[in-house]
Amino acid sequence: MTDVPTGRTPNVPAPERYEIRITGHLAPRWANWFDGMTLTQKDDGTTVIHGPVADQSALHGLFRKLSDLGLPLVSVTPTPGEAAADHTADPS
Amino acid sequence: MLGPLLSSKYRLPSPRPGSVPRQRLAERLRAMSQSTLTILSAPAGFGKTTLLTEWLAAGCADGAAVAWLSLDRRDNDPALFWTYVVTALQTAVPGFGDAALQLLASSPPPIDAVLATLLNDLDGLPTDLLLVLDDYHLVETPEVHEGMTFILEHQPPQLRLVLATRADPPLPLAQLRARGRLVEVRAADLRFTAEEAAAYLNGPMRLGLSDHDVAALEARTEGWIAALQLAALSLQGREDVSVFIAGFAGDDRYIVDYLAEEVLARQPADVREFLLQTSVLERLTGPLCDAVTGREDGKATLVALERANLFLVPLDDRRQWYRYHHLFADVLHAHLLDERPEQVAELHRRASEWFQAYGDTSQAISHAQAGGDTGRAADLMEIAMPVMRRERREAELARWMGALPDEELRTRPVLGVAFVGALAQASDFDTVGERLDQIEASLRSADGTWPEQPPPHVIVVDQDNYRALPAHIEMYRAALALATADLAGTITHAREALSLAPQDEPLARAAAGALAGLASWTTGDLPGAHAAYTESIAGLTSAGFFADVLGCTITLGDIRRTQGQLTTALRTYQQALDPTGPAPGIEPLRGMADMHVGMAGVLLERNDLSAAREHLATNQRLGEHNGLPQNPYRSRVVKARLREAEGDLDDALALLNEAERVYAGDYAPNVQPVPAMRARLRLRRGEVAHAEEWARERQLSAGDEPTYLREYEHLTLARLLLARHRLERAPSALEEALRLLEALLTAAERGGRGASVIEVLVLQALAHEAGRNAPAALAALHRAVTLAQPEGYVRLFADEGTPMAALLKALSKQPAASTHVRRLLAATTTAGTHASILSELIDPLSERELDVLRLLGGDLDGPDIARELSVSLNTLRTHTKSIYAKLGVSSRRAAVRQARDLNLIPGQRHS
Repeated sequence: MTDVPTGRTPNVPAPERYEIRITGHLAPRWANWFDGMTLTQKDDGTTVIHGPVADQSALHGLFRKLSDLGLPLVSVTPTPGEAAADHTADPS
Repeated sequence: MLGPLLSSKYRLPSPRPGSVPRQRLAERLRAMSQSTLTILSAPAGFGKTTLLTEWLAAGCADGAAVAWLSLDRRDNDPALFWTYVVTALQTAVPGFGDAALQLLASSPPPIDAVLATLLNDLDGLPTDLLLVLDDYHLVETPEVHEGMTFILEHQPPQLRLVLATRADPPLPLAQLRARGRLVEVRAADLRFTAEEAAAYLNGPMRLGLSDHDVAALEARTEGWIAALQLAALSLQGREDVSVFIAGFAGDDRYIVDYLAEEVLARQPADVREFLLQTSVLERLTGPLCDAVTGREDGKATLVALERANLFLVPLDDRRQWYRYHHLFADVLHAHLLDERPEQVAELHRRASEWFQAYGDTSQAISHAQAGGDTGRAADLMEIAMPVMRRERREAELARWMGALPDEELRTRPVLGVAFVGALAQASDFDTVGERLDQIEASLRSADGTWPEQPPPHVIVVDQDNYRALPAHIEMYRAALALATADLAGTITHAREALSLAPQDEPLARAAAGALAGLASWTTGDLPGAHAAYTESIAGLTSAGFFADVLGCTITLGDIRRTQGQLTTALRTYQQALDPTGPAPGIEPLRGMADMHVGMAGVLLERNDLSAAREHLATNQRLGEHNGLPQNPYRSRVVKARLREAEGDLDDALALLNEAERVYAGDYAPNVQPVPAMRARLRLRRGEVAHAEEWARERQLSAGDEPTYLREYEHLTLARLLLARHRLERAPSALEEALRLLEALLTAAERGGRGASVIEVLVLQALAHEAGRNAPAALAALHRAVTLAQPEGYVRLFADEGTPMAALLKALSKQPAASTHVRRLLAATTTAGTHASILSELIDPLSERELDVLRLLGGDLDGPDIARELSVSLNTLRTHTKSIYAKLGVSSRRAAVRQARDLNLIPGQRHS
């Protein structure tokens, strides 16, 4: 049951959570467009898109959506271990 | 056939009015004439398409013919992708790539052959050809990228390839870059400079902005053209331009959001509503918009939107179809998802219904799936199935069904069985058995019977198809059994399928008949196989599957030839080609080429080389793409046999090697394996070691049980044993050969395989002769000749060369010798190049020329011969010249020798 963040084989199906940072403030209304992920606007003018990603090809699908909108990508970070905390903390 | 093509996809977009000239980029594009590939790689809204259309409209393509193709997601099917590419090329060069298109129409299309044909056609092109593929990033299938890579690697200088894409494609870019063969125009090049931004905003958009405002906009948008366009639209009609720009420049919001909202907010409520609701559509047209919005102003609204420059791109000149600018469509769709998530499914359903009524099933299904209504998607597939089958669009059907969740297929027996059919066609049998069991279990009643009506827990749209399901299930079980080499199982299931198939289901009967026939054939039951195939052909003919009729005809011909009935075989092929026959008006029909290959084979057997050559030429003219899957290998085999008969054994060997490479069994049993043919040829070339190696690999031994499937190999082994005996003088080899031949004779006679019987007798004669048992040898040969005469077999004898010639000569001296013996003798002694002369020139020599030839063989000189014939010396010279030409010689002595070899004149000089 332990969630090991690294050294995972690509076959493990458990969805990972990712934090994707882009340049510009993206309105929260885009949440549905990004399949219900959470959008947080940061003070430094970036937006963090955060939520579960089923697998690598879903992640690439997400990149494609960003690229389609011309949104410049700043960083992509897997955020393991937060899953439980996030569920309780996120009221939306 | 891939269904109707959208002509708007390969229509060169007209340049939009009021765009900014971009000299610096035009310079860059000019380099493409020295390059293999040009890519414009940048995110959406950087003006890639606009740059290209303007550059082309300005005639910068240097006189090259221009083909344009706008790709979409459906083009991930390689067949569809290449069909569109070739169709686009045809708009530039009419008639270009017809052969490739025909190949693409077959099922499944041989993509490798398509590409080779295309390259070939490009190579012969007198003009340069520029092909633009717009939106290449939508291609994700590795197969398409592989095909593109193949083209790039073999690209003829005439072709210039231009890709506009949002992401670098997985093509060998680094390699091309290193070799200086790649022109790249990237986002940094495409973005508007400050000057270009000013030219745009103050030129066509007439905004009259100050330098300061332009600089602020340029900085905020970073020259992103789509954003500048949106900004210009938001600014139109504003009083507070500078205030707006200042506010915009100081905001962190995603530009498109900020500006699109500005634009949207200024639209009347009904236009805004229209934009959101129609954002589910990939393509828009008035009536479709009406269906989706439930309003009646679709056409008028589209015209107004285009006039207001609201990101609507016309797809045709008649202003019937449009699409939204990609970026704008995404923004609209995001608004829809946010504001009316509950409407999305309903909007897709309306679009799906409209497309269904419009007759575009593919779009109807695609919207049903986008709306999450897999049930509706499945219904549509089931309804479309009969038409799709008739139009041979099984591959597309298979892709649709593959996109359905397995649970959906489980409750839909008709679709489930059709999906099994698609899997079987792709030779993917892993889950076939399990799927069939599941479907049968879901249908059969507790008492084991098939209910007349579908049970309540399954969904059946096509009731006719439901009635045929038991037969189809058994048919696919037979196919599965055949795929696992379970012949008994194949026959059992195929017979079961035949008994279950409704009388009015010709296709089911045909398929089951073919499977039963195939299995019977494989076990050597030729009459059973023939009867089953005849049944199958009747079914296929009445169902209108003419190409498949020809496919079965190949088999019928093979069976007749194995039975030793050359005349019937020939008639079988001819009847299939009869223009008043099964397929009137379809020309050239796929499979016609195969009939010519079949006829060439029969005629070759009769040593009619020139006729065989003609049929092979016809096959070539019709093209491999008009052949069935076996054509490439079969045509090479016959060609190899022809070259062999003509005496060119090197060519024959090369052709057999090629035949092996392109071998495709198409489910037919491999009764004459190419490696065995090659072993025979090796023996004829004196390369016994090669043949020995083949026999070892095939683990052949004289003591094997003679079966039909190995008969051809065993007959080859017998030849090898005779060669071994000749080489090593080993009596054991000869004994083995005789024993093997005896067993083969019994088996061939029992199986009614007339051709094999003759061949065994020929080999027995040679074996007895090698054992110095002349009476036995002559007795066997006499039987062989007697059996061969009515059907005109020649090459079975002639191929055996000198030892056979000696035997035939001996036989010809017997009082009961038939005319056929002399024919065989002539063909055998004139092996090699002579054989072709024989077949070609015997007839053309006139009676008079033969008279001259006879005298040339005597001792008279020219003037004496002229006197003898009462002609002038000049006339005599004309005759001799003609004779020399026909015999391919240049002297009297050579002519006489040739004529004697051909038995044209008595051979008194040889003893």
